[in-house]
Amino acid sequence: MKSVQEPVDLRIEEEQGGKAKLRKWLNMNFRIEMTDGRILIGVFLCTDRDANVILGACSEYSKNSDGEAEEPRVLGLVMVPGRHIVSIQIDDTSPPQKHYYEMIC
Amino acid sequence: MGDSDDYYYGEGTMDPLENAPEVTYNWMDITSDFFKYTQELQLGELLHDGHLFGLFEAMSAIEMMDPKMDAGMLCNRGNPKPLNFQQSVESGKIKIDDLEPSELIGIIDATMACIVSWLEGHSLAQTVFTNLYLHQPHSIPNKPLKAFCIAVYKLLDCIRDCINKAQVFEEEDFLPMGYGYRLGSNPQSGNTYDASLEVTEQKCISMLREQEEELNKKAKSLEDEGNNVWTGLAARIRFTRMFYQALLLITKKDSQSGADCVALLNGCSEMMKVIIRTAAKGTQAEENSDAPNPMGFEPMINQRLLPPTFPRYTRIKARPDALQYFDSLVTRLRHAWKITSCTNFHTALDFFMDFSRQRACILSRSALQLLYLSPSPAALASMVQSNVSSPAGQRPQQVFIEILRESIKSFVNPPVLAKTPTGANPPAREYVEKFLARCVRPFAVLLQVSGHNRARQRDKFALLLDEFAALQEEAESVDAVVGRAAGGGRSWFGTWVLYHVLRVMIAYLLSGLELELYSVHEYHYIFWYLYEFLYGWLVSALGRAESLSGDASRRSEKRSGAKKLKKRARPYAREALLCQVLQNMCGGYYKALVAFKLQGKIKRPNSRFDNEAVRYKHRFAPFSVLTPPQVLYFEFFEMTQPLQYENPVILYLGGCKHFQQARNLLESITTPDQEITDLLKVAKTNFVVLKLLADGHKKDSTTPPEFDFSVHRYFPVLKLV
Repeated sequence: MKSVQEPVDLRIEEEQGGKAKLRKWLNMNFRIEMTDGRILIGVFLCTDRDANVILGACSEYSKNSDGEAEEPRVLGLVMVPGRHIVSIQIDDTSPPQKHYYEMIC
Repeated sequence: MGDSDDYYYGEGTMDPLENAPEVTYNWMDITSDFFKYTQELQLGELLHDGHLFGLFEAMSAIEMMDPKMDAGMLCNRGNPKPLNFQQSVESGKIKIDDLEPSELIGIIDATMACIVSWLEGHSLAQTVFTNLYLHQPHSIPNKPLKAFCIAVYKLLDCIRDCINKAQVFEEEDFLPMGYGYRLGSNPQSGNTYDASLEVTEQKCISMLREQEEELNKKAKSLEDEGNNVWTGLAARIRFTRMFYQALLLITKKDSQSGADCVALLNGCSEMMKVIIRTAAKGTQAEENSDAPNPMGFEPMINQRLLPPTFPRYTRIKARPDALQYFDSLVTRLRHAWKITSCTNFHTALDFFMDFSRQRACILSRSALQLLYLSPSPAALASMVQSNVSSPAGQRPQQVFIEILRESIKSFVNPPVLAKTPTGANPPAREYVEKFLARCVRPFAVLLQVSGHNRARQRDKFALLLDEFAALQEEAESVDAVVGRAAGGGRSWFGTWVLYHVLRVMIAYLLSGLELELYSVHEYHYIFWYLYEFLYGWLVSALGRAESLSGDASRRSEKRSGAKKLKKRARPYAREALLCQVLQNMCGGYYKALVAFKLQGKIKRPNSRFDNEAVRYKHRFAPFSVLTPPQVLYFEFFEMTQPLQYENPVILYLGGCKHFQQARNLLESITTPDQEITDLLKVAKTNFVVLKLLADGHKKDSTTPPEFDFSVHRYFPVLKLV
């Protein structure tokens, strides 16, 4: 295990600024608001240059036409195209959940 | 198989997340940082935790804001939000009292259409439970409607019970999930369990009966015009009651229920006539609407209970078709009932095969299973496997063992099974008993498999052959032991098992034709195998059985001294004759196909890419475990080699002769049924076609002939284009 981990650690040190910061956010809870007003809460797993975001174990929170909150809907693994993202928030207090996959396995 | 339903209950109920603990978050906005940082990534570079999440995982993500994948998107979310029962009542969208009879008929017919859609493999949540009245049947003041809604709950439960017991469904046939609606005991949706709402079978039936009388009174009090509507409504309630009662009797079958069930099903048929006649009296679905009835149905109401990638809505079966379906369903159930008078296992097996050929629906297929053996062949098979040795578990097995014993007795009549066994010592008898017990599982599974849908039967037959192979070995050793005891062994049990094995083998090969699995260039060895071996063996197995049972009757004659000559005049004569017919037909096809090849009418794949030996081996792979052993490709090659140098005209004439022979045999059958008539038509047409070909018609054409399976599912009509 250790030998596998080492190169990653090295790579993080090599990466500067933005990339390292993004990497730190991996496996943390994200709250994404989409252009149509729906909120997605899930674990941040992956992103790319266009800010397309993949969230794991994601739930969707939506409001009906009267503005009342509806029951959340469990979606699982979702990809949110960057152009549909209005805002991103991160759950600050929760201790970083290192290994999302170990959690569900 | 399909038992993934019952423990799903609590989860998918109407408000599943109520009890989930509240999670608090401390959200911190990172929007601008995030977008800034992502700009530092290269085009196409993914930032991810390399060990745990990669491109492969990313592939299965649902893409948000893609109208095809994102069910929560505005365009996919039926706007306005669907109202539930309470809201619909408050807003006056649905009436729960003072309903017009036409409205009631509309609701009932639409519900029946939903039930049919469910029986055709759609989910309950998207069919029957789009009916809002079913969400709170106890809150409906209108009595006929309330009685109907409660009865639907009971009916659904009964149907599901029947299908689950029979275990002859696959995912494409039927979805047993309940989505949190408590079918059966307590007709009310949701988590709240209220014992006072419990409705027993008897209560439900008496509620329906009460309404039936009420409605009949109303029907009589009115003159002609209105009369019809009330009669139609009364017929629907009466149908619901009788159908429910009949299904209950089938599912919880006991010996006295026979006459009742037949009467109930006959009554159902009568009522269906009235229902179909009065279908137009009910309110009809609006055009371009997804709801099957203008009032009371909300197609999107259960969307939240379904997984996110589920189809958005189910098209409910059109009402006239659905009523027709119910009508033929009742007819099929009535037909299935006839199995109860099949005392002989062979006749019963033929009945099962014949029933399956008609491509019956899942419910009637299941009912047939339950009607023949209680609790069901599937249950019996699993009982044997799990070695249930409790007295309760033994009884059904014993019943089936007796059926099999009778079957062997009437087929080959071994002396060891005679009432006063000659020369059979106790160990031999014990040996036979053990053998019979071993037979239970393969034969129960054989019945179960013939209940599955046609497409699934093929693979299941192949698996079953493994079990039969083991049984064949045991049959041989039983024959040896019994033979030693009786002084001079004959293959009694072996013949009986062989007969069934051959039938399964034939069914396996033929199903490939029905399912259109074979390419035309493969037909020749399929028909060759059937012609040269399987049907021939079957004919000889039947002949052997006849002579064995003949021996036995001679034995008994010698002893009793009575002259009961020809007590049973060749019981398998018709079956043997039919085998000869089919053997001849296969021979005809085989010879015609070889001639087609010689004349270049059938394209063969380049053997470098598509080797015939490989295909051959694959096609007959399940037979490799059996005795008689699989005929290998090189044997096929050697045996058919001489034909390669034959003149096609001779082959056509040979095929012609075969069809001629088949035709003569068929015409000798005095009471032809549909099957015989169809075969006769095929044989006659092919005879003429081959005759033409033999005379040199289209000799030089390389256009491939057509194989038309529309007359018979296995035996095509040859057509020259």
